Amino acid sequence: MRKALLTAVAFGVLGLAGCDEGGGRAPCPAGKLCFEYGNSVDPQSIDPPLSSLVQEDHILGDLFTGLTQYDAKSIPVAGLATRWETSPDGLTWTFHLRHSKWSDGKDLTAEDFVYTARRAMDPKTASEYANLLYVLKNGEAVNNGKAPLTALGVEAPDPYTVRFQLAHPAPYFLYITTHQILYPTPEHVVEKWGNRWTEPQHWVSNGPYKMTYFKLGDRLQAVKNPYFYDAASVCIDQINYYPTTDSISAERRVKRGELDFNDDIQSNRIAFLRRPNQMPAHVRTNTWLGTTYLAFNGKRVPALRDVRVRQALAMAIDRDFITQKLMRGGQADAWTMVPPGTANYPGGAAPHWATWPLARRQAEARRLLAAAGYGPGHPLKFAITMRNSNDPLLIYPAIQADLKDVGVQATLEPEEGQIAYADYRARNFEVADAAWIADYNDPMTFLTLLRSTTGQQNYSDYANPAYDALLGKADRETDIAKRGEYLRQAEHIAMEDATVAPIYHYVSKNLVSPRLTGWVPNIADWHRTRYVCMAGHKAPADINPP
Amino acid sequence: MQSAALKGRSLWDDARRRLLHNKAAVASMAVLAVLVLLAVFGPALVPYRFDAINKNDVWAEPLQAGHLLGADSLGRDLLARLLMGLRVSLAVGVVATFVSLVIGVLWGSVAGYLGGRVDEVMMRIVDVLYSLPFIFFVILLMVTFGRNFILMFVAIGAVEWLTMARIVRGQTLSLKQREFIEAARAAGLQPRAILLRHIVPNLLGPVVVYVTLTIPGVILAESFLSFLGLGVQEPMTSLGSLISKGAQDMELAPWLLVFPSLVMVVTLMAFNFIGDGLRDAIDPKDR
Repeated sequence: MRKALLTAVAFGVLGLAGCDEGGGRAPCPAGKLCFEYGNSVDPQSIDPPLSSLVQEDHILGDLFTGLTQYDAKSIPVAGLATRWETSPDGLTWTFHLRHSKWSDGKDLTAEDFVYTARRAMDPKTASEYANLLYVLKNGEAVNNGKAPLTALGVEAPDPYTVRFQLAHPAPYFLYITTHQILYPTPEHVVEKWGNRWTEPQHWVSNGPYKMTYFKLGDRLQAVKNPYFYDAASVCIDQINYYPTTDSISAERRVKRGELDFNDDIQSNRIAFLRRPNQMPAHVRTNTWLGTTYLAFNGKRVPALRDVRVRQALAMAIDRDFITQKLMRGGQADAWTMVPPGTANYPGGAAPHWATWPLARRQAEARRLLAAAGYGPGHPLKFAITMRNSNDPLLIYPAIQADLKDVGVQATLEPEEGQIAYADYRARNFEVADAAWIADYNDPMTFLTLLRSTTGQQNYSDYANPAYDALLGKADRETDIAKRGEYLRQAEHIAMEDATVAPIYHYVSKNLVSPRLTGWVPNIADWHRTRYVCMAGHKAPADINPP
Repeated sequence: MQSAALKGRSLWDDARRRLLHNKAAVASMAVLAVLVLLAVFGPALVPYRFDAINKNDVWAEPLQAGHLLGADSLGRDLLARLLMGLRVSLAVGVVATFVSLVIGVLWGSVAGYLGGRVDEVMMRIVDVLYSLPFIFFVILLMVTFGRNFILMFVAIGAVEWLTMARIVRGQTLSLKQREFIEAARAAGLQPRAILLRHIVPNLLGPVVVYVTLTIPGVILAESFLSFLGLGVQEPMTSLGSLISKGAQDMELAPWLLVFPSLVMVVTLMAFNFIGDGLRDAIDPKDR
């Protein structure tokens, strides 16, 4: 999942300057509980297969419930499916649905899931996340238009059973059924209104909330969905998601009580906010499966096709300084794409220079650059396209200086987050400041990015047959330990190739009002509003009634 | 013994005398001279480079670790950055104002002198440009032609000339009724020559005043653009970007906000006092 904590150019800042000074909380209907939610980016799309940002799923996860869903600790639990079974070969997954309704009162059946999966894989939909469902039988062929939609490995043997045929065993498939790509989309509404179905007056969803208002730069409002199968357990009546572009002004709004929550803190302010006279009870940080990295576009800068040059760049960055002195938010130095603590993974894929001290890395980087033909008289030059948000703005001047130390002249080009990612997908960059947040707790969510068949999200266009072959072997392997070893070998190859240069592993940084109850820090950083309540009110009853 | 007393005093001598009697203006000129010297030579005199990251001096307080004014979140010396920022801001102010001066004076004087339909058309163009929101115009320029330091000078200058053109046109309209212009015309001088030799020199008073008031305006505009991320880019800096960064971290490192703001305030006040003084000196009717 992409992370685009954008600090907007012009429009956003102008808009924010306006609302930042506005006083007090938004009006709330009498007797209702309203949750004022700071969400650092406005959604670009709230049509599930067209969404890709973490912040979009903050909203979508409240509006939809998939076959399975995350509980408050971000563990997949029963959602619309009450139980499921897997065939012994791991290739057939059968989900049994509960009887439930859409927010317009219409029955939701297994056919809706078949429609959802086909729509997501339809080449006409152009879902960026389609590669997540390549795990389905014929998934890739359908998405490339080489097979009809009906060939996709999904069927509804009866109105309350959904069956998926997989192309290969995937221990993470249960996580994919929690993902926004498989949030059920209402066929009867989408076919009637087309792209306009996401407008508030047409909106239909099946989750705890339904969307009632959305204006870019203002807020998105959701209210309780009475048709939700477990509506009795939902405590909060109404949610307003505000695009809090600048995390520092959002911090002040939380402090004043205008917001109950914000999904980001500028890293180097965490220690300050934890001081007793600031807002220590609000700051909640936790390990988060995510990595930020440099991607290299060899098509634009031929020098970056040279493995020695890429290695030199990966070596030159002083990650200790970035994580320990600049950010100080608990982030860890990154030498691999897969963060430590990821499930089903032995770790240990770091390149051979990961343990060297900085001076040795710098010396080797200069040597490699010289060997590649770059030196004081003929320096390597490129531009780094970066996201214009608080943390990148903090660390990139340091990266620029590190590169300068080994004789590389890099310029910085900050762009609004969403635009930066659009440029990365179109390969309209030289070196990219990219970040990836795990979609599911398995190394594959990161390693798929470097697969030659991945397409848009493989920003460096890495294509190494040895790497692809190892990932293919891992796909076919059912033994978790062996699979993990194949993946480790694959990642080690990619890291030695330095096709990307990982910089640091994320931590989640939330500002949570002490009034909120039921908000639990967790490794995936998903916090569905249905589990949250406010002090002095009844907590949600049973989260998953039988 | 009468010859000395009879020596004539030009209007400019009068103006200079009035200006030098204005204490605020004189003091401001001295302050401004110091600021300009600091901006030109200062960065070379500070032991730190403005873009040098000192990894052990992150958020060093003033006077700590050899940083007279402290250091920022990357351990860069604030004094060095402040002097560099002052240099950039002053340069933007002067260059952009010069661009606006050239375009504005030519446009306004031609429109005013030729009058009639030409005047109508030229001033409607100014009206149309006026109605474009300034900041969006600059953003569009930046987006179309890419981020570029020089372009920012041009962009701001290209917007600031509008007011200049109006002032100059108004002055020209009244000037061209005067007898010396009629005399020049009667003598058979070409319009071009009349414009350049008689009209433009007589515009000098109001134009000079307006220029000293435009420079601080431009410095502020540049600050705003930098604040939006469209101005100067890291590691280069300007007063505006120093202040916007400083404002973010003001509880943590107040010196990052206080010193750049002080320099900004002093610079803007100096320009404004000089502008006021000049107006009083050149156009005593207003007193």
